[in-house]
Amino acid sequence: MLPPVFGVLFDGLAYGMLLFLLSVGQSVTLGMMNFINLAHCSFGMLGGYLTVSLMSRYGWPFFATLPCAFIVAAIVSVGLERTLFRRLYRASELDQVLLTIGIVFISVAIAAYVFGTDQQPLQLPHYLRSSLTFMGIRFAVYRLILIGLALAITVALVLGLDYTRFGARVRAAVDNERMARGLGIDVDRTFAITFALGSGLAGLGGALSVEIVGLDPSFAFTYLIYVLIVVSVGGLGSISGSLAAAIVLGISDVAGKYYIPQLGAFLIYLVMISLLMWRPLGLLGKR
Amino acid sequence: MVETLLAFDDVRAGYGSAVVLDGVSFTIPEHGGLAVLGRNGVGKSTLLLTIMGYTRVGRGHIRWRGADVTRQPPHRRALAGIGWVAQEREIFPSLTVEENLTVAARGGRWNLSSIYDLFPRLAERRRNHGNQLSGGEQQMLAIARALMTNPALLLLDEPLEGLAPIVVEELTDAIRRMTKEGSNAFVLVEQHADIALSLTETVLVLERGRIVHSGTSADLLADHAALDRLVGLRLVEG
Repeated sequence: MLPPVFGVLFDGLAYGMLLFLLSVGQSVTLGMMNFINLAHCSFGMLGGYLTVSLMSRYGWPFFATLPCAFIVAAIVSVGLERTLFRRLYRASELDQVLLTIGIVFISVAIAAYVFGTDQQPLQLPHYLRSSLTFMGIRFAVYRLILIGLALAITVALVLGLDYTRFGARVRAAVDNERMARGLGIDVDRTFAITFALGSGLAGLGGALSVEIVGLDPSFAFTYLIYVLIVVSVGGLGSISGSLAAAIVLGISDVAGKYYIPQLGAFLIYLVMISLLMWRPLGLLGKR
Repeated sequence: MVETLLAFDDVRAGYGSAVVLDGVSFTIPEHGGLAVLGRNGVGKSTLLLTIMGYTRVGRGHIRWRGADVTRQPPHRRALAGIGWVAQEREIFPSLTVEENLTVAARGGRWNLSSIYDLFPRLAERRRNHGNQLSGGEQQMLAIARALMTNPALLLLDEPLEGLAPIVVEELTDAIRRMTKEGSNAFVLVEQHADIALSLTETVLVLERGRIVHSGTSADLLADHAALDRLVGLRLVEG
């Protein structure tokens, strides 16, 4: 028999995976393209609402909505990137923050107008709500799938960045944008695709998070804070850093709420402060 | 009649409101080399940056195979067939040597095996990262990386600057072999005037952003007085 601590670790790991999916795109755009996109979680929220609507109004199966959440978030984000964000790539950080926080307010208002301010109901099929018991610990099937999916995405991202020509082009453009253009690399297009991928993953993370954390219009703000914590603790631009930070923070958040409920949601901030005092550039940050 | 690859027609160019080049006109034919000489700060690098599209062109026209490219962005010019070897080499540090070579490669005469024949040292270093190379190796990689895009015109910005004499010799040999292939035209900006003139057919001399001499490289190389007057005689010692 395993002690309950394993159950807490498991739930924390699953929560960490959600945080990772929501934040990895932010880490890439902030760390590699030096663009502060506070509206990142609005794309996550978009994915969440899309999944809920497709299921409740159109009767789509849950898994069919996930690629949709990814693709729609990616397309909407690239539309915003081409029309608004790209104009501010060389602007001051304050300009970027003001524009993107404005987009967060707009997205929250739209969500409240269209869907109301209530928590959105999500009816998962029975097999996803079941759990497996292993050595006395119950493992929720949904969380197992979540962990597997997030790990597979991490491996694909790391391999894609390190071993594909597109990944090499992204790194080249980040290293030296001028030289990359001089060799014929379409840097604008490369960054737009990278941006769309990151936002798509946020959309997927948003869709997957409804079952675990619920969904209402405040999502874009609530998770913005968590995403910024993950990105700063993980280190800018580091995919494996984001994964490590998301797992540490996910586990400490769940453990804090379970063992020291009086401390509640504060533990995650204490963990963040201690980790950043230990490593000011983040766990795997280089700058 | 030899076809014209690149033509500058009365070009004025610079950065922001500062004018660096003025009234510059010249053409580059399909094959052969053009040396660009002149003292420091006369606009030689700016000339190459203007060919690539990194400067502000205030007047005049730039034509590539007859089409006006004056307003075309750099990556489009690179795709059209211009290869650029920057003065600071600008190797991508987070890419390996081989990734630096393949990241923007386009098909043609130059591929990994012909490049490794030309620069055997790069083959030995293929798994190293860009920031683990010596100055000479970085320069070889910068030239090789541009060749891998199989350009019709290669721009070389002071490729021999700051290198040890033995490395200068090695690189000069490689450039000579590359030019003998004759697969591309090239522009060579260089402080070592004698080497530059021996590698090229024609020469331009710039002074304060204007062309003050143009002619054949052989004539200028033979005319020591003119060379001294125009660029300050800069022959490699010994």
